[in-house]
Amino acid sequence: MLSIYLNIAFAAYFTAMIFYFMELFFKPKLLSNIARVFLVCGILSLSVYMGLRWQIAGRPPLSNMFESLVVFAWAIAIVFIFIDIKYKIKSIAAPVALMSLITLGSASLLDKEIVSLLPALKSNWLTIHVLTCFIGYAALTVAFVSSLIFLIQKNKNQKLDEISYKMIAFGFLFLTLGIITGAVWANSAWGTYWSWDPKESWSLITWFVYAIYLHVRFTRGWKGKRAAWVSVLGFLAMLFTYFGVNYLLSGLHSYG
Amino acid sequence: MPIRQTKVFKFFSSIKLAIWLLSFIAIFSVIGTLIPQNKESCEYISRYGQSLYDIFAKTGVLNIYSAWWFVSLLALLCLNLAVCLFNRFSLKLRLLGTLLSHLSILVILAGSLIGMFYGEKGYSRINEGETINSFISKNKKIALDFSLRLDDFIYEEHIDPQEKLLVYPDVQQPPSEPKGTCEMEQDTCDTQQPGAAEREKPLAEIPVAVGSQSEIADTGFRVKILRYVPDFAMDVSTKQVTSRSAEPKNPALEVELKSKDGDIKTFWIFAAYPDIHKQIEKNFRFKYQWAWRRPKDFISKVTVIKGGEELLKKDVRVNSPLRFGGYSFFQSSYDKEHLSWSGLQIVKDPGVIVVYFGFFLLILGLIIIFYINPLIKRR
Repeated sequence: MLSIYLNIAFAAYFTAMIFYFMELFFKPKLLSNIARVFLVCGILSLSVYMGLRWQIAGRPPLSNMFESLVVFAWAIAIVFIFIDIKYKIKSIAAPVALMSLITLGSASLLDKEIVSLLPALKSNWLTIHVLTCFIGYAALTVAFVSSLIFLIQKNKNQKLDEISYKMIAFGFLFLTLGIITGAVWANSAWGTYWSWDPKESWSLITWFVYAIYLHVRFTRGWKGKRAAWVSVLGFLAMLFTYFGVNYLLSGLHSYG
Repeated sequence: MPIRQTKVFKFFSSIKLAIWLLSFIAIFSVIGTLIPQNKESCEYISRYGQSLYDIFAKTGVLNIYSAWWFVSLLALLCLNLAVCLFNRFSLKLRLLGTLLSHLSILVILAGSLIGMFYGEKGYSRINEGETINSFISKNKKIALDFSLRLDDFIYEEHIDPQEKLLVYPDVQQPPSEPKGTCEMEQDTCDTQQPGAAEREKPLAEIPVAVGSQSEIADTGFRVKILRYVPDFAMDVSTKQVTSRSAEPKNPALEVELKSKDGDIKTFWIFAAYPDIHKQIEKNFRFKYQWAWRRPKDFISKVTVIKGGEELLKKDVRVNSPLRFGGYSFFQSSYDKEHLSWSGLQIVKDPGVIVVYFGFFLLILGLIIIFYINPLIKRR
C-alpha cells in the first residue's frame, strides 16, 4: 500500500526524463518546465513515502540498502533541480534524470520490508550521518554526469565544467561531513573514531580523489578535460564506497 | 641562501608532492581493503598460499595501515602540509579558509598521535557477578581507581510479527509415523501432512510472547504461552528444561491448555518437530510458526564501586557507553552460546577532543573556501 508512492515517484521521474529528452530535440521552453514539474512531483512523492515509512517504522528510514537507495534517488533529484533552474543546461538534465531513475529502479528490486533497527544503528547520528553522506553522493553524481557529458561533447560547453566544479565543492563538503559524523558516531558507539574498516578506508580514498581534483584545479589550473577525468575517477571511487564495500568486502558497515 | 630557496624546501612545499602522496596513500589504502587485515596466518596461507603469504608478511601489507612505509607516507604528507603552511600562508582574510582546512589535517593527526601515546585502550571480558578493577592496554596492566561489577548481561530480541502459535482442530488421521523419523528428518515431517495445516483456517492465532493467552474459538479451551526457549534441552533425570544457548537451534514454546472444566495440561511445542506434542494433547493440533528474531539490544547492567560504596548503576548498551573517571566503557561483544559474560571495550583517549577540534576547523575552512570567499570576491 505504501509502495504506491514509490510507484508514483518512479512514474514521475520517468516522465520527467522523457520530457528532458524531448527538450533536446524540440525548442519550446514548456517542455523543460513540464519536466521540472514532474521531477518535483517525484521528489514530493518520495518525501511522502519516506515520511510514512518513518511513521510506521518509528525510526528514520535510513537503515539498509533499499532505504538508502530511496534517499539517494530523492537527493539526486533535489540537488539537480537547483542546478537545472540556475543553469538550464539541457544536455545533462536527461542523463541525471536517468541516474535517479536507475537508482530508484534498483531500490525497487530489493526487499522493501520494514525491519527493526540493529542495536548499532540506534542512535541520533543515524539521520545526520546518512543524510550528509547522501547529499554529498548526490552532488558528486551530478558532477559526474556533467563531467561525462563534457568529455563526450564535441563543442565543449564550459558551463558543464563549472557545474562539475560547483557540485564537487558542495559534494566534497558533505562527503567531509559524512566522514566526520561517521567518525564521531563510531567513537560514541565503539570507542574508536577510525579503525581502517573498508567503508572508512574507501570513503577516505574517495575523499582523496576529490581533494586531488580541487588541488589540481586550484593550483595547477587543470580545467576542462583533465579535471573531468578526475571527477569520473572520483565517482567510481564513490560508487565502490557505496556498493562495492557492502557487496564485495566485509566489515563493520554491513547495513548499507 | 635563505631557507625558502633551498631545493629541499622547494621539494617539500610543492603541490606536486602533495598530489603524489595523496595518490599513493589512496592506492595503498585500496590494497588494504582488498587484502583482509590482521587475520590469523593460517587464514592467509589457505587463501593465498605459502609463498604469497611470505611476501605479504614481509612487505607488511597484512597490517598495511601500521606498516612503516605507510606511516612514513602519512608523516611525509604532514611535513608537506606543514612546509606549505609555513611557506605560503600569511594572515590574509582571503587565505583564511585554506589555512584552516590545511591546519585542521595537522590538528586531526596530532590528536590521533596524542591518543596513540597517551591513550589507553583495552578489552575486558567480564562474567556475570564478576568485578574488575584493571584492564590490559598495550600489554600493560592499567589499574582503575574504582571497580566495575557486571550484574547482568541481557540479550533482547525483536519478535517478528510472523512468529505465531497456531491452533487447528485435530483432523482424524491415520496414526502418523513413529516420532523417531520426525526427529531425524524434519523436512519429510512437514510434507507428511500434505499442507493440511496451511489450507485450513486456524481456530486461534496467538502472537508469541510469554504470558499471552487466547480462547480457542468457541471450544471453551484456553491456551497460554508460559515460556520460550531458543535451544531446547531437557535434563533426563530431573526433567528440567533449559536452553542450551541463545541460538535458535531448536526453538520451543511451553504452553498451558485449560479445558472448560478447569483441567490443566502443560506441554512443549517445537517449531522444528510439529508432531511431538500429539502424544500429550489430542484435541487440537498446534503449530509453532517460528520466524527469525533480530537482535534488539545488548545490555550490560553494571555497577561502579569506589571505596566499598556503590556509586553508580548503568545499563551499558551499544551507542550508550558508561563514562566514569575519565574512562569510557563500550558494549563490545557477547557470546550467543553462553549469555553469561559480556565484553567491554575500555577507552581513555585524551586526543579525541583535539581530533574533534580538527574536524570543526576542517568544516569551517571548507565553508569559507567554497562559500564565503566567492561572496567576498563578488563585492
